[in-house]
Amino acid sequence: MPATDTVGPIAPIEIAQRERQPSPIQRSVVFDVRDLSVHYGKSQAIKDVSLEIYGNMVTALIGPSGCGKSTFIRCLNRMNDLIPEARVEGEILYHDQNLYGAGVDAVAVRRWIGMVFQKPNPFPKSIYDNVAWGPRVHGMRKGLDDRVERALRQAALWDEVKNRLKRSAVALSGGQQQRLCIARALAVEPDVLLLDEPASALDPIATSAIEDLIHELKSEYTIVIVTHNMQQAARVADMTAFFSLDVHDDGSRTGVLVEYDETPKIFTQPADSRTEGYVTGRFG
Amino acid sequence: MRIALQEDLNRLQADVQNEGELVLRSLRGAVNALRTRDLELADEVIAFDDEVDGLYFSIAEGIYTLLARQTPVAIDLRVVLATLHINLHLERMADYCVTISKLTKLVAGVEPDEDLVHGFDEMGTRAEEMIRVALASFESRDLDGATSLVDLDEFIDRANRRVLKHVLELGGDEDQREWGLRMIIVSRCLERIGDHAVDIGEQTAYLVTGEFREFTDATHDDTPDRPA
Repeated sequence: MPATDTVGPIAPIEIAQRERQPSPIQRSVVFDVRDLSVHYGKSQAIKDVSLEIYGNMVTALIGPSGCGKSTFIRCLNRMNDLIPEARVEGEILYHDQNLYGAGVDAVAVRRWIGMVFQKPNPFPKSIYDNVAWGPRVHGMRKGLDDRVERALRQAALWDEVKNRLKRSAVALSGGQQQRLCIARALAVEPDVLLLDEPASALDPIATSAIEDLIHELKSEYTIVIVTHNMQQAARVADMTAFFSLDVHDDGSRTGVLVEYDETPKIFTQPADSRTEGYVTGRFG
Repeated sequence: MRIALQEDLNRLQADVQNEGELVLRSLRGAVNALRTRDLELADEVIAFDDEVDGLYFSIAEGIYTLLARQTPVAIDLRVVLATLHINLHLERMADYCVTISKLTKLVAGVEPDEDLVHGFDEMGTRAEEMIRVALASFESRDLDGATSLVDLDEFIDRANRRVLKHVLELGGDEDQREWGLRMIIVSRCLERIGDHAVDIGEQTAYLVTGEFREFTDATHDDTPDRPA
């Protein structure tokens, strides 16, 4: 705003037609989770979790170790199917379809709902082949080079690797490997990205790069992230779910969802004293 | 580079600039209503304060949320803290505009003293310039611009003292004396708006240098009517 010596003619004041706060953005429900319980053998990992996960938002799952947040996120793309003794009860509707319904192909589920894990796990192949792997498996061979480039650009890795696509992915730094894994997940153009502690093995700079990436990606994807780092949830998430543990008389523990709300609410005025205890660091 | 934090900081600062624009409109309206004895305009200025308050609360909430979510440090933290103060100073300025408008309504029936009205016009213009300088300095991190507010404030302070002197000379007419007493408050409001602009300059100085300091030390100032 330029400083002026005179104010000029004095205009009559107008009553500002300042736009009122927009009504809450229409939320599209991507996952509608109803009374989800998971057992591993005899022990119950999570009990009666119900929540809705919304499209084009980042939803963070936070809570102490063993609270079931990883178990929960693995249910969202049927990763728990791979654990023989895992038993899933309740319903997960994904765009109104029951993910665990009869005839639903778990491989197809994982094509739409991609996942990135805590430890970067590139295949011992070239950078290019890592990203091209998913599209090849799903028969998306047309325009593969473009697809690989697009995924690497989306993962903010292209500029760093464009001249060495044929080199081994294993030679990349940890942070680059993790972004490569994100590119690999994006290459099949999923709808949802599940991130299970994606930055906990990374240094602060690489972590910051991943967080910026999450911020950029949410315009195109629905993102669910499990994190031990509470501040990370505060920084990146639109919605935050706080999980905790119910300890039973026999010493067994079950994960429960304590509170689920918009992130600013969780970090400024949580409704449940257990959430308050956790986010202020007074937990336990 | 923490994109989300940067976006939040940019939005907060843009909101503060917008709040400043609202205050300028309010100030212009208040002085204009006083000068022309336009009661309708005075009412509009009073009602308009809701707009400023709305933005004030929204900025305060934005700061509160940003602190909770982004844990800013160093220059980012100073931006947030400076914004917190500037937000309050701007809201106070708008409150003074409301007071001026209420006083305008109270003395509507009395023929105003032309010299004084002219003086208020000048004070309003200077206050407006100070608000512009304060906000532009904050936006461009201009320490010299922020410091120059002290000199600009001196003009308003002098005008304020002239008003006091003039009111004392108004004579025996009761209506005129009542008008004069109310106008002392108007003068004081305009003078305080200038002080708040100086305070905004101090926040800019804090932002740039990282040091808290008052531009002028009111408690050790010889000038009798400088506010503490």
